Amino acid sequence: MNASTTLRQLLRSKPRSTTPCWTVRQPQRAFHGSPARFKFQTVEQARSRYRSGPFSWKAGLLFVAAGIGLAVYFQTEKERLARNRITEMSKGVGKPKVGGPLTGLVDQHGKSRNEDEFLGKYRLVYFGFTHCPDICPEELDKMADMIDLVKKDHGKVMVPIFVTCDPARDTPEVMKEYLDEFHPDLIGLTGTYDQIKQLCKAYRVYFSTPPNLKSGQDYLVDHSIYFYLMDPEGDFVEALGRQHTPEQAAAVIGQHIKDWKKDLRKD
Amino acid sequence: MGLFTSTTTTPAPSTPTPPTRTQRAKCWEARDAFFRCLDTAGIVDAIKDSTAAKTSCSGEMAAFEKECVASWVEYFKKRRVMEHNREQMLKGLQKEGAKKME
Repeated sequence: MNASTTLRQLLRSKPRSTTPCWTVRQPQRAFHGSPARFKFQTVEQARSRYRSGPFSWKAGLLFVAAGIGLAVYFQTEKERLARNRITEMSKGVGKPKVGGPLTGLVDQHGKSRNEDEFLGKYRLVYFGFTHCPDICPEELDKMADMIDLVKKDHGKVMVPIFVTCDPARDTPEVMKEYLDEFHPDLIGLTGTYDQIKQLCKAYRVYFSTPPNLKSGQDYLVDHSIYFYLMDPEGDFVEALGRQHTPEQAAAVIGQHIKDWKKDLRKD
Repeated sequence: MGLFTSTTTTPAPSTPTPPTRTQRAKCWEARDAFFRCLDTAGIVDAIKDSTAAKTSCSGEMAAFEKECVASWVEYFKKRRVMEHNREQMLKGLQKEGAKKME
C-alpha cells in the first residue's frame, strides 16, 4: 500500500462521491481499499513499462522467425496441394480415365510385354513414329535428358516408353535401331494396327495414317505430342508438353515422385 | 503382305528403315541451306512458287531433295509457309497493340 496510489484512487473516486447525501459506506470504501492491483511500485515505473510495451528484442526475433516459418510452410503446402489437385483431377471421379494397359505389345527386342511388369514404377509414355521428320527426334532427345535427370535424383523409379503410331513400318528391328540412338533405357512398343489404335484411344492420343497406303510408300503420321506421366498404379498423373525444358519436366516428375506415399520399385 | 516388295510410286525411299541421326542431321542442314536461299530470293512457298524456287535455288533444292525423303521435303516446305504465316499474324497483332500472354 502506497501513499500516492491511495491518493490517486481517492482522487478518481471523488467526482462520484459529490452527492449531497453523505452515506456511511462511501468514505469507508475510499480508506479501506482492497490490496493494490498494480505490481509497480511507482507511477513512473508503470509508465516506463507501458511505454516499452510487451516488446523486447527476443520477442521481435521470435515474431520474425515465426513469420518466416509460417510463410515458408504455407508456400510449400500450397504447392503440394496444387500438385495433389492435379493428380486427383486426373484420377477423377466419374471422369474418363486416361491411359490403358500395355499388355500384348511387343518391345524392340521382339519380347512380348505385360502391364504387370511396369506396375510399381512411374512411367513416361511418348507416342511417335520412327520416320518422324523433326518433332519426335527433338522430343526423344529431350526425353533422354529427362530420363537421366530423374534417374540421378531418384534412382530407377521411372520406365520410359515409346509407343509407335505407325506399326506398319515400325517393326521391333526398326524400333531397336532407332531407339538405340536416343537412350538405352527406352522401351519401344509396337503391335498390330488395332492394338495401337486401341491404346491411342485409351490415352486420348490422336493419330492419323494416310488412307490407301501402298507397301513401301513414304508417308508421315500426324499425331499428338505429349509425354504422359503415369503413376506406379498405372493411373495418369500429368501431361508434359513442348513448353517444358528437360529440366522443368524432370522437376515436375521429381515432385510427383516425392509426393508418392505408397511402394515404389527401384530395381 | 508384300512388305518388302519394291514399288514404283516412290523410288527413292523404298527402304522402310527410318533415317538415322546422321542422316537426319544432313537433311536438316540441307533444308536450312535451301531455306536460306529462299529467304534471299524472297520466296516463301516453295510448292506454289516451285518454278521460281527452281530457278533461284536449283543447287540447294537438289541437295535438299537428295538428303531428305520425299515426305519430309513436302512437310518442311509446308511448315515453312505455316511458320511464315504465323509470324506475319503475330506481327500484325503486335501492331494492333496485342500483348503476349504467358
